[in-house]
Amino acid sequence: MLYYLKSDIHPESITIRPPGKGFHMPRDTNTVKPLIEMMNVTKIYPPDVTALEGVSLRIDIGEIIFLTGMSGAGKTTLIKLICCLEAPTNGLIEMAGRDLSRLSSSGIQRMRQKIGVAYQDFKLLDKQTVFQNIAMAMEVTYANPRIIRARIEELLALLNLSDKLHKLAGELSRGEQQRVALARAAANGPSLLLADEPTGNLDQETTELVLNLFQHLNQKNNSTIVIATHDASIYAKTEHRILTLCNGRLASQPEQTTQQINFSKYNKSLISRAKKQK
Amino acid sequence: MQFLANILYQAGKNFRQTWGTQIMTLLTVTLSVLIFAFFFLIYTNMLSASARLGDDIRLIVYLDQDITAQMRPGLEKKIRDFGPVEKIAFVSRTEAFARLSAQLGKEKDVLNDLSPEFLPPSIEVYPLKTLDNLTMISQFSDFLLTLPNVAKVQSGSDWLRRFGYFTNLLRIVVVLSGGLLIISMTFIVSYTIRLTVLSRQNELEILRLLGASNAYIRLPFLIEGVLQGFLGSSIGLAALYSLYQWITNRFSGPGFLKIFEFAFFPIVITASILLVGIILCTISSLFSIRRFIRI
Ligand SMILES: Nc1ncnc2c1ncn2[C@@H]1O[C@H](COP(=O)(O)OP(=O)(O)OP(=O)(O)O)[C@@H](O)[C@H]1O
Ligand SMILES: [Mg+2]
Repeated sequence: MLYYLKSDIHPESITIRPPGKGFHMPRDTNTVKPLIEMMNVTKIYPPDVTALEGVSLRIDIGEIIFLTGMSGAGKTTLIKLICCLEAPTNGLIEMAGRDLSRLSSSGIQRMRQKIGVAYQDFKLLDKQTVFQNIAMAMEVTYANPRIIRARIEELLALLNLSDKLHKLAGELSRGEQQRVALARAAANGPSLLLADEPTGNLDQETTELVLNLFQHLNQKNNSTIVIATHDASIYAKTEHRILTLCNGRLASQPEQTTQQINFSKYNKSLISRAKKQK
Repeated sequence: MQFLANILYQAGKNFRQTWGTQIMTLLTVTLSVLIFAFFFLIYTNMLSASARLGDDIRLIVYLDQDITAQMRPGLEKKIRDFGPVEKIAFVSRTEAFARLSAQLGKEKDVLNDLSPEFLPPSIEVYPLKTLDNLTMISQFSDFLLTLPNVAKVQSGSDWLRRFGYFTNLLRIVVVLSGGLLIISMTFIVSYTIRLTVLSRQNELEILRLLGASNAYIRLPFLIEGVLQGFLGSSIGLAALYSLYQWITNRFSGPGFLKIFEFAFFPIVITASILLVGIILCTISSLFSIRRFIRI
């Protein structure tokens, strides 16, 4: 069969997944490598809504990063660009050194299996149970049902949702749905977790649970975690990097980001793209 | 293994969400296979019956004058060019006379006064005994009339003409029901799959976000089509077989069916109908998958 089948692995090791065929995200703790590089990215929604403008940034492997900004600043747009839900109007986005605009559709599929996204609007199936909703994410990677079950139980316990396992997602409160969306994003032990407003509907105690989950993933898997939020309380005292978007532009750019971006690479890709268009 | 299990699980989900339509589709496929196979069965039986027909299907071309040995190959070629012929026999005046006197036996004295030249020469044409030819027999005899020196063409008995006419009609019915089969399988199967796709639109969208492969999303729908084709055709054929069993038991004995030796399809034909059913449903599900599942 063409698809890589995961052989039985121990539940203890489920979070550290064997590298898939093809799309491989390096997970290197010693030498810091960029996982995501954006170069001069602009996103204009038709007809003329400029959501992002000239955004350049670099996110390293294993980093936890907060993406903040007012409502409408472009946080969700940035996340959508990273998981290929939208394509940039201009500029280059690289994931683990690969130009996203050149990924084949199966390349995008493999990449998405390694990225967990908790969407701002959750994107859960209301008529399916919490278990089914989370299991979907693991089933697409052909994970073993036993492992799926163990993993879901583990995650729900971490998020204080154990009693909701067989409840319909549509019957949960917003805060509970939010945590289910997070559990689904974290289910495969992703190399990259994108969380869009993960604590919007949560009280302080539950917010703590969510942040602990992020910490846990980051430490155990060396997962890179991007948290888009305008909840100042969760990043006020953090030692992690904070990126602020303001009307689609990056406001606070730590010096390293702009300097390390490899503009010659960007130019090369522009030239090759221009050639292609001819 | 896990891959297969997941795909089957998804296919099961599809069924649960639109089982009403699925069963209607299955019924339609079954019925159209049954109708088609029914007429086709009668048709094939007519076909084998015609193969058993004897010399009845002989065309006798009476000529004005004897034809010389040199003319024969030319005539023979003309006739063979028109249609497949099993045998052509030239009967001269004297041969005809000899034949007649042999037939008369003891009473051949009646011929004594007659000149051995009194019978016309003739050509006997035996068309190949396939149904195609049988239905063309009147055209054949019309054609033979246009040959030089032909006085009269005597074709087989009247019932043979009717037989040909009936099989011709039956052939049209078979083609029509075959058309019905194709239409029902392609349109209805693809319609059902479209419905299933629509009812799972949200879910497919999310599967795509989660990185499901094309195969993971599409295969369950393909399996649905294959199953519709397989189950529909086998149930249809099984129903026809029980109908056949019932008829042959009911009308066994010295009935009209004895003439025809009414038989069921040989295994090859049965398998082919099944296969065609599966292929048609699969193709139409492939089409609707391509059209309605954008990836
Ligand atoms: N699909 C779309 N079509 C057109 N315009 C859009 C679309 N999505 C977002 N926008 C616009 O792009 C801008 C940025 O939107 P985005 O959703 O990225 O903001 P955000 O920072 O996530 O805001 P919030 O904190 O409210 O979620 C907004 O002005 C929005 O109106
Ligand atoms: Mg947003």
